[in-house]
Amino acid sequence: MASETEYVTLVSSDGFSFVVLRSAAIKSPAIMRMLDPAYGFAESKTNTCHFENINGLVLEKVCEYFYYYQKHKGAKDVTDMDFPIELSLELVMAADYLDSRDTHQAGFIYI
Amino acid sequence: MSGRRGGNRIRGPQSALTDFLAANNISAAQIRDDYERRRSQVDPQATAGAAEARAEAAASAASPTVPDPEEEAEARTKKRKRSEKDAIDKIKKDKASKKTPKKKKKKDDSDDDVDAYDVGKDMYRKARPNPGQFEHCEICSKRFTVTPYSKEGPDGGLLCTPCGKELVKEMKQEKKAASKPVGRKRRKVESDRLDGIATGGAKSLLQLCIEKIAAHHEDVEEFGDVPQPVLERLSEIFSKKRVMKPKALKLFLRGDLEDMVVHDSAYLEAEDYHEMFAVIPKMKRLVLGNACQLKDGGIDYMLERCKDMRYLQLYAANLVTDAMWHRLFRELGPKLEVLKLKWLDAAFEDVVVQDMVRCCPNLNCVKFKLCRKLGEDAVAALADLPNLQHLSLQIGREVPTTVLCDLISTRGLQLRTLSLEKFIDADDSVLEAIHTNCRHLQKLRFSENDTATDAAYTALFTDWPNPPLHFIDVNSNRDIDNNNPDGPEEAIGLASSGFRAMMAHSGAALKHLDIASCRHIELGAFMDVFNGEQSYPALEHINISFCNRVDTSVVAGIFKSCPALKKLVAFGCFNVQDVVVPRNIALIGVPRAQDAIEQYGVGIDVEEAIGRMVEVGA
Repeated sequence: MASETEYVTLVSSDGFSFVVLRSAAIKSPAIMRMLDPAYGFAESKTNTCHFENINGLVLEKVCEYFYYYQKHKGAKDVTDMDFPIELSLELVMAADYLDSRDTHQAGFIYI
Repeated sequence: MSGRRGGNRIRGPQSALTDFLAANNISAAQIRDDYERRRSQVDPQATAGAAEARAEAAASAASPTVPDPEEEAEARTKKRKRSEKDAIDKIKKDKASKKTPKKKKKKDDSDDDVDAYDVGKDMYRKARPNPGQFEHCEICSKRFTVTPYSKEGPDGGLLCTPCGKELVKEMKQEKKAASKPVGRKRRKVESDRLDGIATGGAKSLLQLCIEKIAAHHEDVEEFGDVPQPVLERLSEIFSKKRVMKPKALKLFLRGDLEDMVVHDSAYLEAEDYHEMFAVIPKMKRLVLGNACQLKDGGIDYMLERCKDMRYLQLYAANLVTDAMWHRLFRELGPKLEVLKLKWLDAAFEDVVVQDMVRCCPNLNCVKFKLCRKLGEDAVAALADLPNLQHLSLQIGREVPTTVLCDLISTRGLQLRTLSLEKFIDADDSVLEAIHTNCRHLQKLRFSENDTATDAAYTALFTDWPNPPLHFIDVNSNRDIDNNNPDGPEEAIGLASSGFRAMMAHSGAALKHLDIASCRHIELGAFMDVFNGEQSYPALEHINISFCNRVDTSVVAGIFKSCPALKKLVAFGCFNVQDVVVPRNIALIGVPRAQDAIEQYGVGIDVEEAIGRMVEVGA
């Protein structure tokens, strides 16, 4: 069984793989759980996550975001990351898949 | 435009012919380019049968289609005249263009050399083709007719009309992006933080995407399979930016949806409501804010199409008549589970509520706020709803306390939420009824009341078998007497002992606490409750505005006692000063904060912040 490596690999649906810092990738709760040995998923053994619903173009942006987030952790007045408009809808789906906490937080408040 | 004007620059020899050609706007480079292009087009055929082509050319030359020599001469004179006129125009234009660089030179002599060089370079560049000529677009290489308005491309060639338009658009956008004010943006970041959108560091990816989509909503054709929560968030942002117009609404209509949420439907017209119900027949939840153009016809169509409606929330739907409300409740009947109505002035009377109670026994959540025609009878009728769990009322007319007490004693046992706003005459007996009947309350709001006494609050929260509450809002419960600002001896409203009892009862699970304007709570009570040792693990949001006894040490105590705190609102607390805000907490409204009304902690934890505050105080 592989130990926790410094880098992990994220593979897109069209076969592109991105090697990113584990500390950056676990910004996404979904990826964090996938890679946590406590849950015993196959991903945690190989340190590789396959995403059948995210293509290379989008996953590249997601990885860029991970590093952008890590770089600006705790900083004030962070400028928004830029990405092409045409990617935003696909990115929204990927972001929702990888991190759904935000929407629940902003969700409907009853009475 | 002579090459010899190059001044003191050294250049290779230039023949008189070159000068002449340049003066007459004939460019050797263009002639060569055109020739080469023609050759490359002809080449493949030419290699196949060059001899054949030559023979053909000879034949055509000898053919009788050659025009009459007289006619030819006439055409030639016409052509010459035209070219003469063109040349004159050209010279005039050249003169005009020469004037501008001269002016420039006067301003700045140092760029003398550069100008001279540019002029020289211009000469060697391809001449701009005259209007009417054909040219190949630099970007898409399509052939097009040159006009005086043809735009120049990035490499100096001309562009066809569509490409030219694109270029102008891009340039405009760049200009716009460059001229955005910086200050406003920073304020936005602060404001977002206080809204809880960005809590230090970068925004979430989802938030970024949603904002981007909302900003470019006009270019979006459809949202595709965007998940429902994201769609709702988008709808919220569209409403906030006031762009939820009929065209934008279409983006949100999808046959497979069950929810429709539009918080600002003021722009939507009768036919938009029809379309909404036509496209989403499976609708179960409908939320419409500012539904001022929703008429009887719209509701009628909804009843016809959406048979499965369970959740109805309308705000200011004033064109719906009483008759239609009756029909709505009769037809939806037992399916309806949630009903929230706000700001109804013209219709919706007590009789309608009585009808609703009869027809919709499965209602578990009812909210009536500022419905002007509702009164005592409606409140009494609600007691007959067997499944009522969440109840929110703000009734403008006078409601006798006994009616309220009856309602609480019949429905109290299963109530999860009880919100009674602005029942100014509700007295101790209402609190007593809550104490004796409610066993499952999680959320309690009892606000803007100056009748109930501190003793009643204390009694409510002492030995109450109800589990700790998650949400308490008891704002503005205080005595109002301008001649006696400290209130009577026996305190009216939530005061010290009531506050102590409340926190002792609910502190363990409490998430949201609003005690704004409860100004009879003494400093000692605050010190006891937030003493730093007693911990309130879930408390995230506190509003202590206008509790004028609160001072800096209370705020420090709150920071220490509430590890999960996100937001502390303290408008009008004049004894609070020199607060150092720890990480991830937003402090809003402190009037004597030196620099900002909104303070947001960065990088310092609670211990360090309190340490610094002590230093400042000493």
